[in-house]
Amino acid sequence: MSYIVEISKLMVTVWDYLPYILEGVLWTLGLVAGGLGIGFIIGLPLAIAQVYGHRFLKILVEVYAWFFRSVPLLVLLFLFYWGIFPALGYKLDPLTCSVLVLGFRSGGYQSQIFRGAIQSISEGQFVAARTLGMSKLQSIYHIILPQALRIAIPGWTNEYAIILKDSAICFVLGVMEILTRTRYVVMATLEPLLPYFIAGGLFIVLTYGGTKIVNIIYEKAKIPGLIGRM
Amino acid sequence: MPDDDIVLKVEDLYKSYGKIAVLKGISFEVRRGETKIICGPSGSGKSTLLRCLNLLTRPDKGRIWLEGEDITNRNVDINKVRQKIGFVFQEFNLFNHLTALKNVSIGLEVVKKMKKEEAHRIALEMLKKVGLSEHAHKYPAELSGGQKQRVAIARALAMNPAVIFYDEPTSALDPQLIGEVLEVMKALAREKVTSVVVTHEMGFAQTVGDELLFMCDGKIVERGPPMEIIRKPKCEETKKFFQRIHELYARETR
Repeated sequence: MSYIVEISKLMVTVWDYLPYILEGVLWTLGLVAGGLGIGFIIGLPLAIAQVYGHRFLKILVEVYAWFFRSVPLLVLLFLFYWGIFPALGYKLDPLTCSVLVLGFRSGGYQSQIFRGAIQSISEGQFVAARTLGMSKLQSIYHIILPQALRIAIPGWTNEYAIILKDSAICFVLGVMEILTRTRYVVMATLEPLLPYFIAGGLFIVLTYGGTKIVNIIYEKAKIPGLIGRM
Repeated sequence: MPDDDIVLKVEDLYKSYGKIAVLKGISFEVRRGETKIICGPSGSGKSTLLRCLNLLTRPDKGRIWLEGEDITNRNVDINKVRQKIGFVFQEFNLFNHLTALKNVSIGLEVVKKMKKEEAHRIALEMLKKVGLSEHAHKYPAELSGGQKQRVAIARALAMNPAVIFYDEPTSALDPQLIGEVLEVMKALAREKVTSVVVTHEMGFAQTVGDELLFMCDGKIVERGPPMEIIRKPKCEETKKFFQRIHELYARETR
C-alpha cells in the first residue's frame, strides 16, 4: 500500500516538473536545427570541393573532416568554449557555442554524406552537361546537385538522428536542453527513475518524428529511376 | 582562313595518354550539310577524336577550326564553342532527374538564357521531330533505350548546333531498337544537318554518308565515298575490318 502511495506522490511531483522538461525540447530542437543547418552550409561546399576542387582544396577538406570526425564531441565543446573562442576574443554563450560546435562537426560528417552521393552519379551526367556548353558550376548546380541531394536524403536522416542524440552532451555547458533540465528535476526531487525515463522517451519521439518528416520529403522528392523504386 | 562552306576543319591532331599515342596526325574537313562517317576497330582512337574535337580532352598538338574560329586557341571560351557542337553519346547520358522535355530545354534555359516558355516550346518542337512529343513528361527511366537516344538527339538539336557528333549512338541498344534511332538520324542527314558519326552501321553509312574515314591505330588510313570503301576497301586493315562486320551481319540474319 505504502508503495503505491510513494509512486503516486512521485507522479505528482514529476507532473509539476513536466512542463519544465518539455520546454527543453525547444532548446534541443534549436541545437539540432542550428547544428544541421550550419553543417549543411559547411558540408555541401566541402563535398563539392572534395570532388571537383583542386588537389590542395581536397587535402584541406579531408583534414577538416578527419579532425571533426576524430575528436569526441565532449572534447570539442570544451576546446571551443574554454579554448578557441576565448582565444579569438569571443565570449559566446553556451547555446551559441554548442550550436556552432555541433555545426562544425556535422559539417565534417555531412561533407562525407554528400561526397558519396555526388560520386555515385555517373561521370556521363557531368560530361553531357559540359557538352551542352554549361560551365563547371552550372553543371554542378543544375545537373549534379539535384540528383546528389536526393540520393543523400537517407544518409542525412541518419545524421539528424545522430545530432539529436549528441545534442544531449551540450548539458556540460549548461545549455537548457532536455537532459540539463531533467538533471535539475532529479536533483530537486531526488528521484532519478521517472525523469530520466521521460527524457529518454522525448528523444525517442523526436527521433521518430524527425525521421518521419524526412521520409515524407524523400517521398515527395522521388523521381522514377533516380531514387526509390519505379 | 577556311572558306564559309567548311564547318569543321581539323589539322594534324595528336593526342597521347602517357606513352600511348592515341591520335597520330588526324586531318579532315566537314562541309556544311555533310554527313561524315568515321569507323574503325575499337582502340583506333575514334572516341578520343570526338572528345578532342569539342575539347572534352585537350589535343596535344594540331588545330581545330569551327566555323572559321580556331578553337584550340587558349583564349577561346570553351563553353561558347561547345554550344555549337551537339554531342550524342553511346550511353545516352540523359539527365536522370529531368523529364524528356526538361532534358531538351535545360540547355536553352541555362546556357542560352532563354525564357522558360520559349525553351519549352522549342523543346517540344524538337521532341516532335524525333517522334516523342507524347513522352515529353516522362523521366529517362520510363523510356526505352531507343527513346532515350532520340531524346538525346533532340537535346543536341535544340541548341541549333553547327555540327552534331554521334559517338556510336546505336551500340548500346537492343537490335530491335536500333532502327528507330537510325531513322531519325537519316531524316536529319537528309535535312542536311551537318554531322560526324562514329558508327559501325554500314547500312546507315551507305545510305546517307557523304564520306567515310577509316581509322586505324590513331591514323586515317582510308577515306572516300562509303559505298566504295565498304565494297572495295584498298587498305589491308580496312579489308579485314569490313570482312568481320559482314560475317557478323551474315550470322545475325541467318
